[in-house]
Amino acid sequence: MNIDVSGDCAVRIERHFGAILAELERMRTEVAALFASGPVTSDELSAQVEAGTVEFLQDPNLLGGGFVVAPDALSDRRLYLAWWQGAGRDFLGEAEVPGTGETMDYTRQPWFRVPERTGRLNVAGPYVDFVCTDEYVLTTTLPVYAGGRLVGVAGADTAVETLERMLLPCLREAQATLVSSTGRVVVSADPHLATGEALTSGRKEGPDGRLLSVVQTPPAADGASRTLSGWPS
Amino acid sequence: MAKARATTSRARSAIFAPIGDEGRAVRVENRLAEAIRSGVLADGDRLPSELELAQMLGVATVTAREALVSLRAQGLVVTTRGRGGGSFVRAPEPGDVVKGRLATMSRVELRDRASLYQVVLTGCAELAAERAAPDEVEDLHDLLLPADEEDVGRWRDAESELYLSVAALTQSARLTREVVRQEADFGTLLRVPLSESDFRQASGGRHRALVAALEAGDVAAARTSVRDHVAHAVERLTEIHEVVRQ
Repeated sequence: MNIDVSGDCAVRIERHFGAILAELERMRTEVAALFASGPVTSDELSAQVEAGTVEFLQDPNLLGGGFVVAPDALSDRRLYLAWWQGAGRDFLGEAEVPGTGETMDYTRQPWFRVPERTGRLNVAGPYVDFVCTDEYVLTTTLPVYAGGRLVGVAGADTAVETLERMLLPCLREAQATLVSSTGRVVVSADPHLATGEALTSGRKEGPDGRLLSVVQTPPAADGASRTLSGWPS
Repeated sequence: MAKARATTSRARSAIFAPIGDEGRAVRVENRLAEAIRSGVLADGDRLPSELELAQMLGVATVTAREALVSLRAQGLVVTTRGRGGGSFVRAPEPGDVVKGRLATMSRVELRDRASLYQVVLTGCAELAAERAAPDEVEDLHDLLLPADEEDVGRWRDAESELYLSVAALTQSARLTREVVRQEADFGTLLRVPLSESDFRQASGGRHRALVAALEAGDVAAARTSVRDHVAHAVERLTEIHEVVRQ
């Protein structure tokens, strides 16, 4: 049991989330340049990011992605999601409160709020996203600045089911659990550790500030839960 | 928006399809009123003239005129004279649409829908109290409005989002989707009483109790606050129902 067999998991996590990070950084450059050139409308933003996003979303392991603006960054709308999602890669535009049809303010959602506060890459969830997909997801977001001002977040959604399919075999081999930065179980080799359950109480950040960690479960005999790998590594 | 217009034009041609010989003014009126209330005919849309309308629907001109008179009386159509004049759609206030829906509902149906809503939402509150992490519950404080907030729309949106958030805290996508459905369906009716100041105060208190219960992981208290709220809202709604049905 002391042989480290989590290598495969680390490779798979890096392959998936590394690709997301590379895309979000690409989009950051693209969007920052657009905002640096003057006032931007919602149509101009969508037109700019559509081709790259749809191309990136050819990866079936992604549920959706795009760019979500900070309030009042656009010249014609306060809130806007240049976001494509689902099997048909449908365009979102704006989120509505069911029933009233009013625009829903997404800025209090952790996927927006956390990178807004920290200025850094974030992986939010697992959580049920009722703003966009109505699915159980992990949302990776990267804040984008232009002229020293936050203009929004570039992001991509991954369904928890996708990660379960992708990572469960290697997690079983390693007898380990994929844990979010807030200490929530994402996928575990242990069937009694349900997704969303808190594995560590009150921990705000994963080890070394990692956004995702692969932790041995159950903990070793001495009670110490060993972290096998993390992302970003 | 473009997508919505595409379906609208198809729905439009259905509205203006011949209505048949037995079609009388009431049927013309009902068809147009329903189209206006549901938004298929949008605010400011110009209606065909009496003559055109009569030809499209296959009724006598006098029948079309009678229907338009009645729609004008209901405030769903305004007619202006002179160059550029004609009959135009006047969309009702969203609140009137909801009350219109309430008026078509039986007391049994109201109770039936309320029961489903109550069971789903109290169940969500229980699971959320068990499962939510303190930092997740903290976010819900943004949805608790100050007692002196008078914007009814804000109360309705905040309450809808609070209940959706509670559903999401169950970590179940299916439950959340069910609540999205319930909110779009029954939630709009349940929020009619929020137009009353006393009811808003009582609601605010119960929502604060709900968030406190979720923070404390108190399953019974979370359940009670949702149950009390839905029960009170249904009670008021039933009274309003009685009035609009009369």
